Amino acid sequence: MAEVEETFKRIQAHKGVIGVIVVNSEGIPIRSTLDNSTTVQYAGLISQLAAKARSTVRDIDPGNDLTFLRIRSKKHEIMVAPENEYLLIVIQNPDAV
Amino acid sequence: MHCQFLSKAQISSKLLSFQGRIQDSKVFVFGIEITEITNNIPNVNNKMFADITLESVTFKSNWKKERSLASSGCQTSELVVEEVACQSVKYKSVKTQTEDDSDKFSGFADDNSGHLFEFLRRVEPAMHKQLEMNVKSHAFDDYEVTWDEGSSTMSSIHKLTNAAHDGQFQITGLSWNSTGAVIAASYGRFDHEDWCTHKTSLCTWNLERRNLDENKPDTVLEVSSCLMCTAFHPSNPALIAGGTYNGVVIVWDLSREDDMVLTSSGIGDDSHREPVSKVIWVPDTSSVKKNKYLLVSVSSDGKMLVWKMDRKTKQIELHDGFVLMNMNLPTQLRKSRTMRGDKEVGVTCISYNNENKDSFIIGSEPGAVFKCSMSANGEQPAGNIISSIQLKSPVTFTYAHHYGPVYSAEFSPFHRNAFLTSSMDQTLRLYSMLQKQPIMTLEPGEGVIYSTKWSFSRPALFAATTDTGLLLLYDLTQNQPVPVYKLEAGGLMGNNARAPVLTCQFNQHQNNLIATGDAMGCIQVFRISDSLKTPLSRDLEILGDLVDITTES
Repeated sequence: MAEVEETFKRIQAHKGVIGVIVVNSEGIPIRSTLDNSTTVQYAGLISQLAAKARSTVRDIDPGNDLTFLRIRSKKHEIMVAPENEYLLIVIQNPDAV
Repeated sequence: MHCQFLSKAQISSKLLSFQGRIQDSKVFVFGIEITEITNNIPNVNNKMFADITLESVTFKSNWKKERSLASSGCQTSELVVEEVACQSVKYKSVKTQTEDDSDKFSGFADDNSGHLFEFLRRVEPAMHKQLEMNVKSHAFDDYEVTWDEGSSTMSSIHKLTNAAHDGQFQITGLSWNSTGAVIAASYGRFDHEDWCTHKTSLCTWNLERRNLDENKPDTVLEVSSCLMCTAFHPSNPALIAGGTYNGVVIVWDLSREDDMVLTSSGIGDDSHREPVSKVIWVPDTSSVKKNKYLLVSVSSDGKMLVWKMDRKTKQIELHDGFVLMNMNLPTQLRKSRTMRGDKEVGVTCISYNNENKDSFIIGSEPGAVFKCSMSANGEQPAGNIISSIQLKSPVTFTYAHHYGPVYSAEFSPFHRNAFLTSSMDQTLRLYSMLQKQPIMTLEPGEGVIYSTKWSFSRPALFAATTDTGLLLLYDLTQNQPVPVYKLEAGGLMGNNARAPVLTCQFNQHQNNLIATGDAMGCIQVFRISDSLKTPLSRDLEILGDLVDITTES
């Protein structure tokens, strides 16, 4: 378990990172560095979006699959690394001083 | 109740008399039956105990009157009865139920499969790479998307005047209320020669009303002297404070029916003796409750007074005070050696730091700019001031001074160290709180700059108003120190010149509105284009760079 914590810390320590969330295949958050309500919101919405993105990619080309998803907004960028069982969500502010 | 009267003839022989007494619903019948009178005859031979029935005897009572009886009936007139029935044909049944939000969050899921670490190990390098790339990337540097169609032009949407004043008063102060819908203007004049004998007013207009009359304010509060400044309460949309030429600080409550003056500081030893140049509401850091505010007023008599509103009596009382004296001035500004150090120096403007409400800056009449603190405890010579509260020196740091009275000083709402000052020496300066020399000095060449304000939505935008009747908008993200927009805000005067614009104020809630007030008593509300109201992603960074970079040297 300590390794998991360490990995989290490493990602969180990166420049501009606002929060890190790990979500399981059902969309329920497992670990998070943000507060509860924000975590639940991100977990639900992002897992749905990732699922949609994945199905879009596979519909266009069944041999293809989603490897990474990035959403850039005015204020920050949300990066999603999807896998079979889990989903890693990292929110970063690229302009952070 | 049922009554039955029987005639004597009906009484049987057994009954002696009938005495009817009606009491409630009971009928008492008394009867006397005389059964047997036995004669005590000593002769026992023949029938000794024989049964004799005697005739009943009736006798009338001599004290009771006999009742005369009559029988009659009565009946009401016929009652009219109507029967009506009604029935609704359609049924509608609606139920509502709030969702119990607390159920949604049932806690994080526990993951015991042990695959979490594997997953993180796989994904982490990719994530790191992306994070690094993001920070270094310039791909999105000038990329902006506008979703709303918005306006791309600047236009004057309102021109408000008070026709009753007839142009003889100037707009001395403007304030938007806490909801951003109402604008208040204080009227007065800056060119008094001696006592002020004018009768002016504080006018408010509600811009959200449909039947807005631009020449007639919604509320007019009469004041018996010139009003020099005004400020709405930051959270209560009904409270507004104003400072007069006579030194009186007044607070009005607009929710009242008749006399809206809630409280006034009066003219006494504790209040100001000279015109009040600025009033400002400051959060009360010492109180436990969140929404408490103190009222701070600064004036030409050098005093900075902190007023606290008593909750019950709603009166303002002097809570704390500071005074600025000659000995605080930098040496270049002291006109002569023989000038007394204990003479007061007029304060013209004040602004509180956005993050730390304890520190504030003031601008003075000779042109000096000071950093002060609410908890400063410097000793001041007694001088000629009589006051119930010890007036301290608030100064903690002195900045490079202007060459004329500082008309306006404003802290940036976004950066904790940046502030702007504008002065009669026709310059506009951007200072960092940590440095004595200004970071930037702008000289637009448009005469005296009467006021300058930061935008509430864009960190790099600020406005300045000039003597030539222009509203200048500066954007710090531009490379050149020239205004991006010059709006004609002053009304036209007789000799084809524009009236000087004395004050301006951004609307905190509706980010695209800015109001200006000119020397002819006319207020103009401008709508600025979307490109100026929406913050660019690098605004704060650029502002930070400007302000912070010089502190490294």
